Amino acid sequence: MNTTVDRVSPEVAVVGLEGELDASNFQDLVTVGQQLYADGARRLVLDLSALSYMASSGIVALHSLSLVFRGQPALDPESGWQAIHSLGADVSGGAVDAVRIVAPQTAVQRVLDRTGLSRMLPVFPDRDAAVAG
Amino acid sequence: MNLTRQAPRPCGCAARTTPESGYRPERVMATHLPSFRIEIGAELAALAPARTFVRESAASLGAARPVIDDLVQAVDEWVTNVIVHGYAGRPGSIEIELIPDGRDVLAVVRDRCPTFDPANAPPFDPRVPLEQRRPGGMGIHLMHELADSIEHRALPDGGNEVTIRRAVGTAAGGQR
Repeated sequence: MNTTVDRVSPEVAVVGLEGELDASNFQDLVTVGQQLYADGARRLVLDLSALSYMASSGIVALHSLSLVFRGQPALDPESGWQAIHSLGADVSGGAVDAVRIVAPQTAVQRVLDRTGLSRMLPVFPDRDAAVAG
Repeated sequence: MNLTRQAPRPCGCAARTTPESGYRPERVMATHLPSFRIEIGAELAALAPARTFVRESAASLGAARPVIDDLVQAVDEWVTNVIVHGYAGRPGSIEIELIPDGRDVLAVVRDRCPTFDPANAPPFDPRVPLEQRRPGGMGIHLMHELADSIEHRALPDGGNEVTIRRAVGTAAGGQR
């Protein structure tokens, strides 16, 4: 999978994914997000228009990124699948729509729907809409 | 990685004739579609070639595009589980076979791991908000959604055989 990063402003980073996101590479995407957040980005736009496949591991990455961009630690697989991360209303760290999805392909949209992610992360038809909104 | 294309096997289907026609019934040899087999190492890097194998084999067997996508994902999710939780870092191999069965395609995955039946996996609820979710658990949920049926069998010499069944022509199979 190829990843492009476009820092359109200090606060907003657009990450484009091309190819397939699966268990072998999803952690790399989380790492990219963590680096961007550490560098001051507070909105992450994920352009999925060129992503042809997303495994459930990709959903874990999206979940993790939504935590990272709320100032929370990323999901840690080493801590075991029993770990539960809770976000209370008093947690500082950013807007609930800090992670935005752009133009998922049909098969990827189905995975987002079936895992409930499409109701939790806003989806935009193109980069400009996601950056501006 | 070994890719084996099995030769088509003839079936014996009796032709129907009427006595008045003067023709005697005879066995008609009809050629079935072939089946396909691959063996991969238990490594995450093998997931992409495995998906390509399923995609190309399912297309050869005449599956509709949405069915191909679903089969690819169902197999990918299960094989990921086998690699991550079954072999869990130990070396090993996983066999994937695509077999036509009437109007269905079967994707059969065999491993040499401790017995694990996907029907016993913890449930996943897609309605739970992210902040209350435990990580993971979605792969087997997706596999069940994408297949018409999933069967598990413990192999006699150790290991698992999981059969993912999907009708080839239906666009909305798995929608429940």
